[in-house]
Amino acid sequence: MSGLSQFLALAGDGIKANRLLWLLIGGFAVFPIFTHFADLPFWNDVAMRIMLLGMAAMGLNLVLGYGGMVSFGHAAFIGIGAYCVGIGEFYGLTNGWAHILLGMIVCGLMGLIIGYLALRTSGIYFIMITLAFAQMLFFLFVSLEQFGGDDGMSIDRAEFGLIDLYDPLRLYFLIWVALALVGLGLMFIVRSRFGVTLRAIKSNESRIEAMGLEPLRFKITGYVISAVICGLAGVLFANWQEYVSPDIMHWTRSGELMIIIILGGLGTLAGPLLGAIVFLLLEESLPMLLGAVAPAYAENWMILFGPLLIMVVLFGRGGLVGLIATRNQSTSNQKRGKAGQ
Amino acid sequence: MTFTLILEQTFNGLQAGVTLFLVAAGLTLILGIMDFVFLAHGSQVMIGAYAAAAITQASGNFYLGVLLAIPVTFASGYLLEFLIIRHLYRRDHMEQVLATFGLILFFNEAIRVSFGPAALFSDLPHSLSGFVEILPATPYPAYRLGVIIVGLLCAVGIHLLVSRTRIGAMVRAGANNPEMTAALGINIKTLFRLIFATGACLAGVAGMMLGPLTAVQSGMGEPLLILSLVVIIIGGIGSVRGAFVAAIIVGLVDTLGRVFLPSILRLFVEQATADGAGPALASMLVYILMAVVLIFRPTGLFPAKG
Repeated sequence: MSGLSQFLALAGDGIKANRLLWLLIGGFAVFPIFTHFADLPFWNDVAMRIMLLGMAAMGLNLVLGYGGMVSFGHAAFIGIGAYCVGIGEFYGLTNGWAHILLGMIVCGLMGLIIGYLALRTSGIYFIMITLAFAQMLFFLFVSLEQFGGDDGMSIDRAEFGLIDLYDPLRLYFLIWVALALVGLGLMFIVRSRFGVTLRAIKSNESRIEAMGLEPLRFKITGYVISAVICGLAGVLFANWQEYVSPDIMHWTRSGELMIIIILGGLGTLAGPLLGAIVFLLLEESLPMLLGAVAPAYAENWMILFGPLLIMVVLFGRGGLVGLIATRNQSTSNQKRGKAGQ
Repeated sequence: MTFTLILEQTFNGLQAGVTLFLVAAGLTLILGIMDFVFLAHGSQVMIGAYAAAAITQASGNFYLGVLLAIPVTFASGYLLEFLIIRHLYRRDHMEQVLATFGLILFFNEAIRVSFGPAALFSDLPHSLSGFVEILPATPYPAYRLGVIIVGLLCAVGIHLLVSRTRIGAMVRAGANNPEMTAALGINIKTLFRLIFATGACLAGVAGMMLGPLTAVQSGMGEPLLILSLVVIIIGGIGSVRGAFVAAIIVGLVDTLGRVFLPSILRLFVEQATADGAGPALASMLVYILMAVVLIFRPTGLFPAKG
């Protein structure tokens, strides 16, 4: 029993320290009630996409934000996860739990291989070699004609025992549970000895080496964990989309994941999720906004989105989480200042 | 698999290689000297192709289009550096990736807005649309041969500029140690801007030459960007010589692999497997090559530093 109470105490501490993350995850839990009464079922779909991309971005953030490894190829792991569903069904494997298990194992192995090879390099070379591996896998799936090649393959939502995924709410909550578990898992990982070491490696690798630890081992472990999380997101993504094509692992999606993280806040637990919310809401609302001003150009919303990204880099340091944190700090400083007067 | 076919495909590979080199030459200096991850270099290719195609259509003269497009691409590179890029040198790589990714989205969409989503096709001038006999009874398209010659001339020009001139010495010094170069009284900011504009210009030339061979459309530069990044990594970041060698290797491997790999595989495995795996393996070939190079030589074939 003491083990359980210890776990609960730890979890409680973590939740207190990451209030924003759990506020967001809690928000997703009650969001369907809102869409039900407001009669906006379309937004459930948007919320599912946000949770899926947010989950993948949280996984990438472990290496990008905490480990300082700029991986430009994580969309490949989403793709592998998604193709585990497609190819699994192709060979008659329809059980969703099996897909999840398969997707996570395959992504873990691929993460191990790619991580082992790519982590021999660093800096720009690391960015490019991760991109190269992702491109390799992209073209592999483009040319696998038996699995649809360029056109992709359609997917029946998998069987999850009693959970019928064709009920949109059940799919929603399956994704939500996965997101909450990933959030919980990452919270423990980041606060663990391993997570602290990973962050220490980011700030000074040679010092960690001098302390008798082997940085490469920690980096590869982090890389594998993040690959597994992206794989999980990919499996669920395929079920949500009912379709998988190489497009899911296009290099621009790896870029998207990075944008989401930087937008939300690098190396924070809530950042990727917040970034995913803002990113996808922009993607939904910019066409409408542009359509209201200049209807002919509604589909050219990227002409606004691109400069917006540049603005984020030029003026918004620390992402949205940083923005929120500094505001809180400055308001509490103000309060303290007033109390002092 | 005749000798003629092999020769023809080798020339095609060379043509792809020199085009890649034009894109990679500027990019390797931007990555090497400025330590700047510039993903929007593919957009410069697109700008060059569109400028040439638009001017050719308006004036009806192909040569005029190409000639006028060169200053356009130079100016676009110069302006881009002045307006945005110079504010990003001191940021970390990830922020550079993000900002230049934003630039790609903007340029692709801007082209779509101003020229429409359909591809432009520019016809070859009569003088270049014929065939040349590279060997007796082996005709080869004159235009592609022209691309190879122009590309090689550019390569020689860049080589002379980098290895024989004062500016080239500054560039090489900058690639080796930018701080020390600045400390020696060289205006590194102006040097950066000139390299950037020249790089954009070379990428633009690649785009102009590709115009009549492929469809000129929004997003046409990105596949080239990815391939030229592969070239730069194989050749060693910051090394123009490395970029040239790697570009030719990548061009040949990619072209020859796509044509001959399925039939080579057929010698070893049964036909159905070979037909399935051949194209897959061929399109992965350059990335496999890059991964292998990086595993054995983590800083590329001709590292510029150290």
